[in-house]
Amino acid sequence: MTESDTEFLRLEVSSDPRLLGVIRGVLQVWLELVGLAADRRDEVVLAVDEACANCIRHAYDGRIDEPVELLLSASAEWLEISVSDQGTPCPAECAEYRPLMAPEPHELKPGGLGVKLIHRVFDEVRFRPGTTSGNCVTMRLYRTAKGGVESED
Amino acid sequence: MRIEADKTADETIITVEGDIDLYTSPELRKVVLKAVPKAAIGVGIHLGGITYMDSSGVATLVEGLRSAKEHGKAFTLIAPSTAVMKVLELARLDSIFEVRSD
Repeated sequence: MTESDTEFLRLEVSSDPRLLGVIRGVLQVWLELVGLAADRRDEVVLAVDEACANCIRHAYDGRIDEPVELLLSASAEWLEISVSDQGTPCPAECAEYRPLMAPEPHELKPGGLGVKLIHRVFDEVRFRPGTTSGNCVTMRLYRTAKGGVESED
Repeated sequence: MRIEADKTADETIITVEGDIDLYTSPELRKVVLKAVPKAAIGVGIHLGGITYMDSSGVATLVEGLRSAKEHGKAFTLIAPSTAVMKVLELARLDSIFEVRSD
């Protein structure tokens, strides 16, 4: 791939949790195709799966027949994946970066982890809730680690 | 995902295989939260055959641990696969669970 090349793949799937496994499978193949190192693929798949799961759980409140769109693009320097829905806009603070610390067992609360995982895996995360409907999260990973998972919160 | 629960010993062993995600974790949650109060001493979740786990799986394990503490039972992860350890590490929750190899 030359420096100016950008490869695109667009996927639209319905918001059915059973399809998350299909999305993960497609992502694995695509990440291999665009040459992401094997040891980084699994965590990227995880973070994108979390973004899709958030569309289903929050934007669509569990409805299974609504559209979720993924746009995957890769250049020589970065991979960028955006996940968008046409559901209820989430409050912007839901997607804010918060430091992830090891909690004490009594402080543990299930849930709310997905966004934190997305921030830990990707170098840049932009969340844009629509004014009336829809959400879009764009996640970028640089091929030469600028930090990503190795960076401390 | 496949789940099997074996309550013949003091410890109820729940063996899970395959992917734990938004689709499958509700079933695991049901099995775990039902087993914890009934276990003689505690519950062990065998995760050696897990090929993928997301945050809903992590949340399920956290709920199981909390429930076990409330009921005074042990809660142990047995032989967690690489996929399980990876997400627990990313979530910084790898040190809160008791883990053993078999």
